[in-house]
Amino acid sequence: MALTASIIARPPRASPLAGLALLAGLVVALPLAGVVLAALGDASADIAQRDLLRYAATSGLVALLVGVLTALVGTAAAWLVVMHRFPGRDAFAWLLALPLAAPAFALAYAYADLLDVGGGLRTALRAATGHDLPFEMRSIGGAVFVLTAAFYPYVFLAMRAAFINQSVAALEAATMLGCPRRQLLWRVALPMARPALAAGVALAVMETLADYGAVHFLSVQTLTTGVVRAWSVFGSTASAARFALPLLAAAALLLWLERMSRRGRTHDNGKGRWRAIAPSELGPVRRWLAFAACAMLLVLALGLPLGWLAWQLPLAVPDWARLTLALRNSAGMGLAGAMVTVALAMMLALGTRQWPLAGRLASLGYATPGAVMAIGLLAPAGLIWSLVPGAGAGIALLLLVLAYAARLMAAALEPIDAGLARVTPSMRHAARTLGRGELGAAMAVDLPVARGAMLTATLILFVDILKELPATMILRPFNFDTLAVLASNYALDERLNQAGLPALLIVAMAMPAVIWLTRRIDGARPGALNAAA
Amino acid sequence: MRLFPLSVVALAALGLASCSGGEPAAGSGEVNLYTARHYDSDLPLYDRFTKETGIKINRIEGKADELIARMQSEGANSPADLFISADAGALWRAQQAGLFQPVTTATLTERVPANLREPDGHWYGTSRRARIVAYDAAKVKPEEVDDYAKLAGPRFKGKICVRSSDSVYNLSLVGAVIEQLGKPAAEQWVKAIVANMARPPEGGDRDQIRAVAAGVCEVAITNSYYYLRMASGDDAKDRDVTQRVKLAFPSLGGKGAHVNISGGGVAKNAPNRANAIKLLEFFASAETQQHIAKHNNEFPATPGVAAPPPVDAYADFTANPMPVAVFARRQGEAQALMSAAGWR
Repeated sequence: MALTASIIARPPRASPLAGLALLAGLVVALPLAGVVLAALGDASADIAQRDLLRYAATSGLVALLVGVLTALVGTAAAWLVVMHRFPGRDAFAWLLALPLAAPAFALAYAYADLLDVGGGLRTALRAATGHDLPFEMRSIGGAVFVLTAAFYPYVFLAMRAAFINQSVAALEAATMLGCPRRQLLWRVALPMARPALAAGVALAVMETLADYGAVHFLSVQTLTTGVVRAWSVFGSTASAARFALPLLAAAALLLWLERMSRRGRTHDNGKGRWRAIAPSELGPVRRWLAFAACAMLLVLALGLPLGWLAWQLPLAVPDWARLTLALRNSAGMGLAGAMVTVALAMMLALGTRQWPLAGRLASLGYATPGAVMAIGLLAPAGLIWSLVPGAGAGIALLLLVLAYAARLMAAALEPIDAGLARVTPSMRHAARTLGRGELGAAMAVDLPVARGAMLTATLILFVDILKELPATMILRPFNFDTLAVLASNYALDERLNQAGLPALLIVAMAMPAVIWLTRRIDGARPGALNAAA
Repeated sequence: MRLFPLSVVALAALGLASCSGGEPAAGSGEVNLYTARHYDSDLPLYDRFTKETGIKINRIEGKADELIARMQSEGANSPADLFISADAGALWRAQQAGLFQPVTTATLTERVPANLREPDGHWYGTSRRARIVAYDAAKVKPEEVDDYAKLAGPRFKGKICVRSSDSVYNLSLVGAVIEQLGKPAAEQWVKAIVANMARPPEGGDRDQIRAVAAGVCEVAITNSYYYLRMASGDDAKDRDVTQRVKLAFPSLGGKGAHVNISGGGVAKNAPNRANAIKLLEFFASAETQQHIAKHNNEFPATPGVAAPPPVDAYADFTANPMPVAVFARRQGEAQALMSAAGWR
């Protein structure tokens, strides 16, 4: 007891874990500090108050709608796939996570091109039916639709993992106490899975707040529009950074709420007896309805837009040499960035266990608009450039990897936090009692337990980095393209036919990672092997 | 322990990526180009330059303002030699930020007309793009769109398609209108255009041209090369669009169509200054201008440089002789006018 007390009472300064966390925190904090520092500068952009309010209102509305819709769609899809048996269920389990691999901006290009007034599908429908479609793609509704399609997989993945890991005993107890099966979701499973829902929605909403590519393409003006306008019209990085502060505040609030939602909830259900969840058989009509719902989601989020991009491919002459190089760069940066970010996230998570909110703050980069993050990143980068004159490609790539870590830390911290939650204090104390130091205990206990979570985080990060744009754009070394950069440059130049191929290659490369990710979640349930046997 | 193999993989992955990233070196055989132009058709130009001069081009492509911010952060150590942008406004902002050095050579002075370059030689325009009108030939007579002022008249109530005020090309156009007609008249013009819009601004220039063909509006304000690219491209639907939609070159203040430039300037701390000047002169050469005209459908900057097809059919339009440097600096004013008028 005295030993435990002395461990807890040890000042954090002396702890090697806290030191590592500080190091990792520095990587994440420097660009954010750069943003705040830039915001303190002389803001000279003359943007009307009225416009600003409109941007803010639009940002808020889009984020709210995307949050609600991703929660609904992601949860419903996960519940359907985990708890029910219907045709194609096993394939949908991973197929429905696949839109994670499609960059939101690519979906926006494709849908705008399909459904714009002069767009292919719209023109064809108009010609066939004599009526115009009753909606505009380039509108708030269109943006919400595209962003929901792009980001619901965050909720789907989190909820599916939560449902797979839920306690069968709790569900059975509820059934025995008279809860109808159809109410199990609302009354038992959902309340138990609330932390997962909060985590998934938080990621989706933060991505939405930070998005520029998709909303800009769909002519929806959000706060990120104000950021870019301040920067590119008035040349004022200070004003641009200032517009990002409300976004950061919103994200911080979101993260705090997410933290609160976890408080006092150990969604740890009994230790010993795990049994496979018995999916319920659906009736003859319902099973096909379930199939149709999943198939429609997949077609809307992936099949239709990517199919359209693929259909347009023959219209462009691809520059294969350039594409191959970009592919290699994307793969290399994806791997390196994912591993470094996960290592840093692990250091942060272990070192800030006593101060969960500090770890949360490291997630803010995720909600920072790309353009502003670029401004923030340039401050520490400028320092390095002035320290190492003529810094070569090596330094530039290292800088870029750290920039990925700063931007995407949230996506790594979420799964790792969840993984580390399975380590109980008594496990750690046992290691300490057996003579390991703080670091040794972390290596012997936390790391092995969280290994699965680390792999999950690595896969998500890999996919996220493939899609990453602003940091790559502004920090890359000479003669260095990635697929995302090529896709975006072609689209900016209104050459959508050419933008299709790099966008499709991103999806192709991310696909194995997404499949692996889904399989991992299947295997994560303790006793999964017994159930299979 | 377990981290060891992971870190090896991470390093290897970084190595995989880095072997394609060229080292930017200060030396006789290289030039470091920061460019906001990212057209595939420019790539053969870079190859030709290297073949002719033996100078290797290292390239970073990005949005103009990102590149400007990066050069600012790099400060005196910036490896940038030459900064290229597809809009005069960005060149002016780079100049304001003190990122250029004045350069004057006989070749540049001879090839770039005085109104397409900065008076002190901070930057030079090497190709021209006109911001003009695409109209529905079935509904609009050419003489109804021969002046920007006519677009503001009641004839085009609810008939105009144009993209948002975020577009630098629109900002430069309104900047030129302010310069030509004065601020009060420009304010009236902007208000009238907003009142005449067929729909709130959305999409890019190509989308406006397509909207004309789809009957959403009768005229679209667009950059010349988007139309030419649609007319000569591989997409049969786009070619059909240009059968029905025609191009007109309206006049600003009776002096000719608004012209913007693509061009560049030598960086203040260019480590390879001589090579940067060579590359800038290469961009200003007749062959390069013709290549860009042919493949990206921009107009040559040098008078007397013959435009190849498909640009040649339009190349003899009357261009407003207004110096680009004077409207380039009015983008902020233009944005304020447009925002106030509700041009979103």
